[in-house]
Amino acid sequence: MKYLARRFVHGFLLLIGVSLLCFVFSDLAPGGFFDEMKLNPQVSAETIAGIRAQYGIDQPFPVRYLRWVQSVVRGEWGYSFAYNSPVRNLLGTRARNTLILATVATALAWLISVPLGVWLASRAGKWGDRACLAGTSLLTSVPEIVLVLALLGFAVRTHWLPVGGMSSVGSGTVLREKAVDLLLHLVIPTTVLVLASLPILVRHVRSSVIEALKAPFIQAARAHGISQARLLFHYALPAAAKPLISLFGLSVAGLLSGGLLVEVVTGWPGLGPLLLESSMSKDIYVVVGIVMFSTLFMIFGNLLADLLLFVADPRVRAE
Amino acid sequence: MSTDTAAGLARNSALVSTRELSKQYRPAGWFSRNSFAIDALVDVNFEIPRGSVTALIGESGSGKSTLARCLAMLEEPDQGEIYFDGQKITGATARDMALLRPRVQMVFQDSAGALNPRFSAAEIIAEPLRIQKWETGEKLRERACELMKEVGLSPDWADRRPLEFSGGQRQRLGIARAIALRPAFLILDESLSGLDLSTQAQILNLLLDLQAAHSLTYLVISHDIGLVGEVADFIAVMYQGKIVEHGSAERVLNNPREVYTRQLLNSVRVVETAFRAAHAGAGR
Amino acid sequence: MRKARKVIFAMVLLAFLHLAIFFAGFVAPYDPASQNRDFPFAPPSRIHFVGARGHLHLRPFVYAWVAVPDGINQYAESREREYPVRFLVTGSRYLIAGFIPCRTHLLGTDEPTQMFIAGTDGYGRDQFSRILYGGQISVAAGLLATAISLALGLVVGCISGFYGKWIDASAMRFAELFLVLPWLYVLLAVRSFLPLHISPTQAFFLLVAVIGTIGWARPARLIRGVVLSARDRRYVIASRGFGASNFYLLRTHILPHTYEILLTQAALLVPQYVIAEVTLSFFGVGLSEPVPSWGNLLANLQQYSVLVSYWWMFAPAVALVLISLGYLTVANAIHESLQSGSI
Repeated sequence: MKYLARRFVHGFLLLIGVSLLCFVFSDLAPGGFFDEMKLNPQVSAETIAGIRAQYGIDQPFPVRYLRWVQSVVRGEWGYSFAYNSPVRNLLGTRARNTLILATVATALAWLISVPLGVWLASRAGKWGDRACLAGTSLLTSVPEIVLVLALLGFAVRTHWLPVGGMSSVGSGTVLREKAVDLLLHLVIPTTVLVLASLPILVRHVRSSVIEALKAPFIQAARAHGISQARLLFHYALPAAAKPLISLFGLSVAGLLSGGLLVEVVTGWPGLGPLLLESSMSKDIYVVVGIVMFSTLFMIFGNLLADLLLFVADPRVRAE
Repeated sequence: MSTDTAAGLARNSALVSTRELSKQYRPAGWFSRNSFAIDALVDVNFEIPRGSVTALIGESGSGKSTLARCLAMLEEPDQGEIYFDGQKITGATARDMALLRPRVQMVFQDSAGALNPRFSAAEIIAEPLRIQKWETGEKLRERACELMKEVGLSPDWADRRPLEFSGGQRQRLGIARAIALRPAFLILDESLSGLDLSTQAQILNLLLDLQAAHSLTYLVISHDIGLVGEVADFIAVMYQGKIVEHGSAERVLNNPREVYTRQLLNSVRVVETAFRAAHAGAGR
Repeated sequence: MRKARKVIFAMVLLAFLHLAIFFAGFVAPYDPASQNRDFPFAPPSRIHFVGARGHLHLRPFVYAWVAVPDGINQYAESREREYPVRFLVTGSRYLIAGFIPCRTHLLGTDEPTQMFIAGTDGYGRDQFSRILYGGQISVAAGLLATAISLALGLVVGCISGFYGKWIDASAMRFAELFLVLPWLYVLLAVRSFLPLHISPTQAFFLLVAVIGTIGWARPARLIRGVVLSARDRRYVIASRGFGASNFYLLRTHILPHTYEILLTQAALLVPQYVIAEVTLSFFGVGLSEPVPSWGNLLANLQQYSVLVSYWWMFAPAVALVLISLGYLTVANAIHESLQSGSI
């Protein structure tokens, strides 16, 4: 238990460190939102003054930082000057959309990789294994940006799938229709994300299982006449679990941030496009909020991996 | 602690002496829950007479290596003083220490780890000369070959890597390197462990020859009491950071005053007796 | 050995690509900025060997494109005249390595027709030339940024590992901050936050600086580990006993241990950073028009019409994939040979 508590405190300190880093950077970078906002006739001077007062924009660094922390504690996470609302409201919907995409893609990637990796491990060295390895090598060399553009091109030409976005206009109000519509829109971004992460996952599963298969207890089980399938999934895979758990933690860690490119290019209304937009318009609290939120996930993912490891591996518990 | 009286240990004939030397190791880290410290050296008062072979014996963890490193100026003690040839080492300026360094050198135990595997034999031996800028270029190589001959290695092997040498030859390399700067004081930290008996004997002879040729003073650190008995003029026994007994070799080995010394010597004899008995039995 | 052949092939490929990119002026038939308003979005010129009258030519040739009347960006080959593909042609002036003027180009055909190996873009600019020049930007950005990351990582890692204690502890905590941040996110946010409307040269160096600086943490941590273990080797302690300065110890005994890591990291980081530049330029926060970069070349594909009709605009992706493939294969080979303990 002490071990976990320490990791938790560690993660919390990291968060604080990251938030400080963000603030320091935004201070160093020239230009600010209000230079642009003053040009916007729709925003009244009083509003600007009010926001400046509330967030202490003109105050020294510690005051600003403190005000922001207070805002986080209140649940607002700062204020978006561009959208004229607390950051939290913006983050809510966008994060949900990103999570929909990311969770489906990650789940799918793992569901494919684990059986595939195990199968490859059982056929290590044979032509099926070599072909798959070559394929995954090739796939790693294709950057995400190329994948997403290629798939979009394909979609555009065949008209089988909607090109970008999360929902189509007029998709109806019936739940079933909306669900189908959502699924169709999910296909392209999900495929890209799965293809991008598949090679790494498959390779790791494969190598972990190969290592596990070398253990003597596997040979003993085989001598007992246990079937190959059972051998692989009930004996080898749990033994190979440790590095895979860390990898899983990493997958969870990257849930919010991994889809940045895909979201922007396919127009998926998640955190990615929001980040790009706010960065360019120097909407600082939104940027800080998004970075913090994704970092939170990263830290959470690492913690989760630690927790799972703790539960799964008695040796860790003994420490 | 027992030591012989001044007769034979006059202060001005001591090359190296320490006074109330202490050092502690504290585990590092900001969140170390236990703030315990290990006492590596506790109030060590010690003298090494000029031109002698002094042995430092004791079990693992007694502080022998720590003391050696402090004497070799590789570590700083926390309290106390060290004197070399009348000059105070502890607290000396960096410049003074730099001037003293060539006079105190060390030969390590693990010869494979003590020699950079990427360097050639000549480069290893010449390194001290290069660092101290005593020679450059071709002269370095000449000096290295001379030193190789002096320790009984063929200069033809000057370009070979350490791993191409045998264990005994590597120790010779280490010795050649250590005498390159013509030190007055040589510390041999377990230098003969891990070598077979005949090689040990050869290296020992080499060391004695070198001592005679260059008027060296040796500090031999070892846990091998039999070896120590053969070469040492004086013996100091260490236990848990303290020197518990110190005197002439003959007196310490045959007439130990401290209980611990007696236990140490007895344990060796027990092992030796058992060893001989086993072999005698096998031979019959 | 099959593996050795694969690696040699990859290295040859990389060498070939880098040479082609370095000598872009020579390999590219045309100036990347020269526009042909008569030929927007012309498809790649088709290479023929068999003439109109059915006989075989040894030297390949192309036909001129002619715009189809009443069509939008549609072209047909004009069989009037055959334009042979010539080598070592005299063409527009360019500078080798930025200062040697030259006019010879590797390929070309007779004036006034132009040979569009990879088609043209909306302004009629030859894509093949633009891809080569764009490669100079993208690959150079990747290489420079890698150099920065490795240099920073080396310095911090050495100091941290060598001096230890609180320097090490604070440096590694600081590194952890950088490692926990989602990389592309931070890259985008940082770059977008900085001034956007700056000159191309400034934009290039700013981009390189941002990419390189953010990536210092992983090399630093790896190098620190190596330095830490090397520092306590007996021969380092022995050298200290000879009066060696810290700098001497680092340079002579410890640095050689870092070479392996530097090499592996370089092979891994270069493609990553090239992709980073491409991504940022694609989003418009890297290099922008008119300077070609693979990123802003690919950005054309964000237009629906381009995506649908002009498939040759995907060509920069091929170059990108080839570079990635080359570097990753080499990185794998280095990694494997290090693991098996031989080189």
